Amino acid sequence: MAAERRAEVTWNGDLMSGSGTIDSVGSGAFAPLDVSWPARSEERSGAKTSPEELIAAAHASCFSMALAHGLAQAGNAPERLATSATVTFVPGTGITKIALAVEGSVPGLDDAGFREAAEGAKANCPVSQALAGVGEITVDARLASGG
Amino acid sequence: MPRIERSAAISWEGNVARGVGLVSGDTGSFAELPFSLPSRLNAENGKTSPEELLAAAHGGCLAMSLASELTQAGSPPERLDVHVRIVMDEVPGQGHLVVGSEVEIAARVDGVEQDRFDALVAEADASCPFSHLIRATASVTVRARLNAT
Repeated sequence: MAAERRAEVTWNGDLMSGSGTIDSVGSGAFAPLDVSWPARSEERSGAKTSPEELIAAAHASCFSMALAHGLAQAGNAPERLATSATVTFVPGTGITKIALAVEGSVPGLDDAGFREAAEGAKANCPVSQALAGVGEITVDARLASGG
Repeated sequence: MPRIERSAAISWEGNVARGVGLVSGDTGSFAELPFSLPSRLNAENGKTSPEELLAAAHGGCLAMSLASELTQAGSPPERLDVHVRIVMDEVPGQGHLVVGSEVEIAARVDGVEQDRFDALVAEADASCPFSHLIRATASVTVRARLNAT
């Protein structure tokens, strides 16, 4: 069964001084969100989002679900996963790296098992596969200490 | 050449079928948006999903690419409306894949001919890094209308 998800964006003016808005998304879960070139390409983004931040959010959420699924299938359902994704964007070149990091509370699993499950989720989640052209996708996985 | 980093954070609790996650962008522009397996695979239920976030990313990327191409051609846009639909499907032997991104653009631009506009749309698609990447598994279609009423 195919699932469709949609978003609408408006842009006004040229790239450098213009600005855009993610006006609405199908679920209604977020929007409007402002986007701009300075928010995308400068060290400090202000409080505006960017395509790369949204890709980071998409990848981290996809990875987390794939990892929860893989762990549960192996008999070690997680209590909690805390994941981050950092997307590196080089204007003129594109997206050069995505670094995933996850800390998990997973009863009954050791570090090696958790790292292996994280590698599997990185390889298999649909967003990872759609972004397979990114030169470097890494994952740093560790179990929460004292958990 | 600047290297720009943008990050997002997730917390997930529970297994995949009944668990729920929260996604936040580090800029603070969106925070603690809930997502879950039903919000991803079933009818939209008010929660977001990785694919909806991809749709928003692709729309933002193409809007900026087209604004750039039009401006370099001497005709900056007055307004671009971009609509993106991301399709995820189960592919035999490969599980779920992002198989399509369908983009529709309505552009209000003075001083550009239709042929030139069409060429600039193709350039924008080629220069949007996300359009390029997502073709790893998805077919990308971009349809753009110039000054349609």
